Amino acid sequence: MATVNPILDNTYDDAGERSPLILGGLDYAGVTDEVCGIWEADKPPKIWFVVLGAAISLLMVLGGCVGHLLMDGVGVWGNNNPAYWGWPIVNFVFWVGIGHAGTLISAILFLFRQNWRTSINRAAEAMTIFAVVCAGLFPGVHIGRVWVFYWLFPIPTEHLAMWPNFRSPLLWDVFAVSTYATVSILFWYMGMVPDIATFRDRCTSKIGKFVYGLLSLGWTGSARAWHRYEIAYTILAALATPLVLSVHTIVSFDFAVSQVPGWHTTIFPPYFVAGAIFSGFAMVVTLLVPVRKLYGLENLITVRHLENMNKIIMATGMMVGTAYGIEFFIAWYSGVPYESYAFYNRAFGNYWWAYWIMVSCNVLIPQVFWIKWCRTTPWFMVIICVFVNIGMWFERFVITITSLCRDFVPSSWAYFHPTWVDVLMLIGSFGLFFTLFTLFCRYLPVIAMAEVKGVMPRPKDH
Amino acid sequence: MAEENTNSSTDENSKLIGLVAQFDDPESLVQACDRARQAGYTKTDAFSPFPVHGIDPALGIKRTILPFIVLSIAIGAVFIGLGMQWYTNGGSLGEFSTDESPVFPGYRFKISGKPYFSLPANIPVTFEVIVLSSAFATFFGMWFLNKLPMLSNPLHRISRFKRATNDKFFLMIEQADEQFDRGSTEAQLNEWGAVSIDECRKDLTDNNLPSWLRLVALMGAILLLLPPVAIFRAMGMTSRAPRLHVVPDMDWQDKSKTQTLSPIMMNDRYLFADERAMRAPVDGSIARGQLDADTELFEGIKSDYVPTVSLTTPQGAVRTGLGTQDEAEATPPVEDVSMYVTEFPKEIIVDEALLQRGQVRFNIYCAACHGYAANGDGLVNQRAVALAATGKAQWTSAKSLHDATVSNAAKNPLGRIFETISKGRGTMGPYGAQIPTADRWAIVAYVKALQETGIKPVVAVSEDENSDDAEASEAATTPEDKTQPTP
Repeated sequence: MATVNPILDNTYDDAGERSPLILGGLDYAGVTDEVCGIWEADKPPKIWFVVLGAAISLLMVLGGCVGHLLMDGVGVWGNNNPAYWGWPIVNFVFWVGIGHAGTLISAILFLFRQNWRTSINRAAEAMTIFAVVCAGLFPGVHIGRVWVFYWLFPIPTEHLAMWPNFRSPLLWDVFAVSTYATVSILFWYMGMVPDIATFRDRCTSKIGKFVYGLLSLGWTGSARAWHRYEIAYTILAALATPLVLSVHTIVSFDFAVSQVPGWHTTIFPPYFVAGAIFSGFAMVVTLLVPVRKLYGLENLITVRHLENMNKIIMATGMMVGTAYGIEFFIAWYSGVPYESYAFYNRAFGNYWWAYWIMVSCNVLIPQVFWIKWCRTTPWFMVIICVFVNIGMWFERFVITITSLCRDFVPSSWAYFHPTWVDVLMLIGSFGLFFTLFTLFCRYLPVIAMAEVKGVMPRPKDH
Repeated sequence: MAEENTNSSTDENSKLIGLVAQFDDPESLVQACDRARQAGYTKTDAFSPFPVHGIDPALGIKRTILPFIVLSIAIGAVFIGLGMQWYTNGGSLGEFSTDESPVFPGYRFKISGKPYFSLPANIPVTFEVIVLSSAFATFFGMWFLNKLPMLSNPLHRISRFKRATNDKFFLMIEQADEQFDRGSTEAQLNEWGAVSIDECRKDLTDNNLPSWLRLVALMGAILLLLPPVAIFRAMGMTSRAPRLHVVPDMDWQDKSKTQTLSPIMMNDRYLFADERAMRAPVDGSIARGQLDADTELFEGIKSDYVPTVSLTTPQGAVRTGLGTQDEAEATPPVEDVSMYVTEFPKEIIVDEALLQRGQVRFNIYCAACHGYAANGDGLVNQRAVALAATGKAQWTSAKSLHDATVSNAAKNPLGRIFETISKGRGTMGPYGAQIPTADRWAIVAYVKALQETGIKPVVAVSEDENSDDAEASEAATTPEDKTQPTP
């Protein structure tokens, strides 16, 4: 079966046997050749240069905006009374939410022994790290005087004579996001070492041999090393699982621990985590469909992988939809007039358009995944997933802006106006993200070869 | 046999490390490992592009201690994470609180009356510290136990071995194994199904680093040390040069501060003709709330008072004493007490509310030195007197307001007390700028009330008369104390 595989569509479930995770009759060497082929090609495809060029242009726009911001201060944003948390926090939560899928795929699906994760986890983890980089940028520059960023950390120094406030959710956030970024990078890098060793052993250029030789740390694939490696990987997965849930929980505390109507709700942690997984998977699908097409990885990232992700997107989308409904129920059931008004205002106030964009994109549009054609047709699912991410951006916009613009004191009510810096920084952050991702696709193993080989049917079985 | 072994294993250029046999699929590798272990080999290792299941028992690999390393680090992190927050929030142990620590003191945040240390608020950070430390322990512990990174390995010299990270499986039997024998081991490996067998040889010729590298590394290390040394030196010494403003923040602003020269406009002309940055009020104008023509209310001086003797104010007296009169110390200048009001101004209505207000203000502004009962035993005073006794400070003791010179209404009428509060007296500073007029009168009322209710110093009572209080206090002391004058 593994040598001559007639199956081209592995999305049908047969009770008699497991659907194959890998198509095209690939053996071990075949997997290696397919994945290394991307990197061994003399020249990447033309479209790669186009994407990289566009991404770097946007990155330069972002750099210009950050420079302008640092020279002139945070006043260049639209943040003002009463919406002191404007687009920067919206963008932060948006990106950090996207950055949840990778570790979820790597850690939680690993613990649940979901073998289909092996084809997509590397790219998803990379995406996670790049999304967290984008996320970290916004609060990073929001602190105003970035040159004293170290005030965020408890550094024993007589010069500062001050400690951070450990009871503030904003400080919990510093710890959560920096821990998450660190652990994600460790997890990603550790998972990549055996594959980098493959690159090292196949590399012909001197620079490549040196760099990959250094990065692979002298990995030989020794059984004793694999033994400790697998246990370490399991431990990291077990650590990353509560971590990934904690990060967006703590991000939601930034809102929920305050007393602003519309923020002060106990449903926020699970609701934020579900939304994070939802948007993260949508981003993984958005990225992987073009990547598999471009590099001919259809045998490794099969339609079944994409279908599984779409199922998760639909499930988490409905969780998010339930949360939207529960918020209204609680607002009515609590009998608190401020709370009731906050939610009435969300749906029918002057930000009604943002609210209904959010509901349409997050709750209604993913429902098409009930239809098999929709969740197995790559070009179509990308469109849906782009809508999901638009919807998730608007979710954070609705939560942040509508609540702040209608707080307790009617005299401070106002309408939020973003500036051109706000808009360009959001667009520019995509430049940062795609620059990193296109470079990753070119220079690092896009698919976890060692893990894919580990879940492949053994040659002797057939 | 043994001699043959050594002969073949070492020549002048390289040393035999072991034999590496290739297998084409994981099952053959596991079988070969199993048979190698049964044949008595212990120094063996297998190499595969992915973890092969069942190879651990086949090779006799013991379970790693890594989970216990991680567990111990995680348990430590609980204490580090909680301890960090406890310390920085000014946590306390009995009498000691970390905000009194001489170096890196904690910081007591009093927020909404909540306790300084509460577990729920500290769970998120503790959790993150645990996860971060455990992740580091896992990551670095794994590489450490695997003896990686190892950037030079003789295995990589075998061209066939490059496929160990691709699609082939290898078993190595080390030359150091007691059972190892170049000929018979190779035969055994062939018997177990090896596709091919290579010698793994360690090259003895290029073991040494290039000689210049050590020198360059040493010099590089020294050069790297210079910046931190320079920074620490600068931090540890004083300098008369202005500090470096790497990032100027808002250190220089385009504005004029109080008591400075007027900004200079073009042609070296000042913006304001009087060359001052501050502007005086327009002539004849009075700022809102600053009309204080009523001397009884605002100064405590009778409105019909006409000075008959010049320089009678306390400030004037001091000036005179220093400047003109030789006998200033012997006979202080006569102070005209009659100028002070002896009744409260008509705007001030003395009632319960005023006295309570006066008590609050008194406790805020006056009690620090004069004490809550006005005995002159405020904490600042006690501390300063103690310091003065050791010569570390100069201090004139704060007066007890029950002192006869203060409480005597003839010598110290209401207006004079008010003036003392407003303008200061002796070493006491003026409080007129800090305390609004009505509050100063409230304090005057409260001081009079304190004097009337007569909380008298215990010392004075025990010396003057044997009141009940004094007897009671003396009964508690030893007889020897009775004979000695109370300090």
